[in-house]
Amino acid sequence: MLLITFAYLLFLATPIALLFVGSFGESWSNTILPHGFTTRWYLEVAADPSFQRAFVSSIKVVIATCVLNVVIGLPLAYAIYSSARRGVRLAAKIMALLPIAVPDLVLGFGFILVFSSDTAPWLGSIGLLIAAHVILTLPYTVNTVLADMQQLRLHDYEQVAATLSAPFWTRLKDIVLPLLATSVLSSLLTVAALSIGEFQISNLISGFLSRTYPVVLLQAFYGATGFACAATVVLLLLAILASCASSLTASASSRRA
Amino acid sequence: MTIQFQSIDYRYPGSANGVFDVDLSIGDGEFLAVIGPSGSGKTTLLKLLAGFARPAAGRILVDGRDITDLPPEKRRLGVVFQSYGLFPHMSALDNVAYPLKIRGQARAERRARAAQALERVGLAQWAHSMPAAMSGGQQQRIALARALVFSPSALLLDEPLSALDAALRVEMREEILRVQRAANIATLHITHDQEEALSIADRIAIMRAGRIIQIGTPKELYDQPVSRWVASFIGQANLWEGRVGPDRRSVRTPIGELSCDTGEHAADAPVTVLIRPEAILPGDLAPAGTNILAGRVQADRFLGAARRVDLAVGEGLVRVDTHSRAPFDTIAVPPKSIRLLPPEPVSDSVNAIGERT
Repeated sequence: MLLITFAYLLFLATPIALLFVGSFGESWSNTILPHGFTTRWYLEVAADPSFQRAFVSSIKVVIATCVLNVVIGLPLAYAIYSSARRGVRLAAKIMALLPIAVPDLVLGFGFILVFSSDTAPWLGSIGLLIAAHVILTLPYTVNTVLADMQQLRLHDYEQVAATLSAPFWTRLKDIVLPLLATSVLSSLLTVAALSIGEFQISNLISGFLSRTYPVVLLQAFYGATGFACAATVVLLLLAILASCASSLTASASSRRA
Repeated sequence: MTIQFQSIDYRYPGSANGVFDVDLSIGDGEFLAVIGPSGSGKTTLLKLLAGFARPAAGRILVDGRDITDLPPEKRRLGVVFQSYGLFPHMSALDNVAYPLKIRGQARAERRARAAQALERVGLAQWAHSMPAAMSGGQQQRIALARALVFSPSALLLDEPLSALDAALRVEMREEILRVQRAANIATLHITHDQEEALSIADRIAIMRAGRIIQIGTPKELYDQPVSRWVASFIGQANLWEGRVGPDRRSVRTPIGELSCDTGEHAADAPVTVLIRPEAILPGDLAPAGTNILAGRVQADRFLGAARRVDLAVGEGLVRVDTHSRAPFDTIAVPPKSIRLLPPEPVSDSVNAIGERT
């Protein structure tokens, strides 16, 4: 068991470590480790206008995706949880699980077909890109929050609050949202990480000016190794940053509630 | 401060369960317990009163105010749930202050009142603890304080003691009664524990299959049950099929002929004979004029304060609870301890002793 864990960590950590090493290497070809130390690859990535634009696009998409996940996912999960009818719960559950089951490529080609038509010519807009990210990530929010509602027995607390004379919106503000803050936060961590790293659909449907960071990153691998490594490390940092930011925002808003 | 159920009917969708034709009234400051086996509709009664279910027919009045169509948040009732339902993200004090917050009381005022309420249940020093850090008994007290802090019109207790261990349960029922008396509030207490109901309730309503089959003081229910089933549900009971004697001065039972007051029952009428185990005495302690019967001891258990002896007498089995520690093989049955109930099938009892199998 220990051996397997060790091997797993090795496979996980080694590529990341090598990327890090490579990003500071002067030149790297046909050797185990690169030669020389330089920061010029990072400066080049930072100076590259297409990387700059992609960086900003990615951040916009992540923020919008997280916000929409809360705005859509939380009420959806609540509706599923509160619905007494079995059929409604089942239908909602299938709908929420579908994006996980369907391969991203299928969804992407579907988007291309529908949104390149004259009636809905939105292919390439950042709005459509955000919509795609929301569809891909929403199941994680709905499922996490729904599981938390069931485990907490949220309905019992709502009943208690009702007997203490709290009307619906007061219950929502004082009981439901604070109790769910932790699971919303943890689902947003997943959503942010998924959205930052999403490649398949973004590559298919993003317009030239709204390409996200991973899409542009692919280009880097046709150039210098050091440049590619540096650009990838930036993506890694971006993912960590997005996760931290989303969790901080969620905890701050729950404290205010 | 009264609660009235008037001809209440409610059926769970898609099932035959529910409550039917319930008339019940709880007086000012009265503590009424509703008992019954699971599925008898006692929790449904509480749901209807709290507003989590609407009756199909009938009215519910609290203090003369018709609350049948009001949502739970407009009913002003204090409810203590089986699981307590303390909000896990709030301290004990915040939990108790919450209903006052909803009523728009200023922060300082509501915290002072909540602190007083905690003091009344003996938990002043726990005000700033979180519910997860407290024991079941403490959580129970906080739930009680929270249910009463806003001076509700009535108090509803939904099996509040069932999650506690036996020793704590006895202590907590004293506590509940003390707090209820201090608040002097009409109280509906749901329980499946007949001993708990006997010990704290002013009156008990006993439910079966959605209907109230008897209401009375604990003594009335214990001494004058309306049926074999009630007799066997409340306390221990010796129950036999019997027949009134031709001169209506005695009753024939499997354990022998017992002289007793046969009341309204006709000569030769079939009856169910009830004798509580503690009413039967060892034969040598018999006062004059009692029925003396000889038997053979089958089991003799020492229970500390009492001793429980099962004897084979005639064709039947007799359970005797006595304080006497001396051995005995005759029993004395005082005529006054014999109660004749309508005849009912033997199977219609919960834990009756008597019929030998």
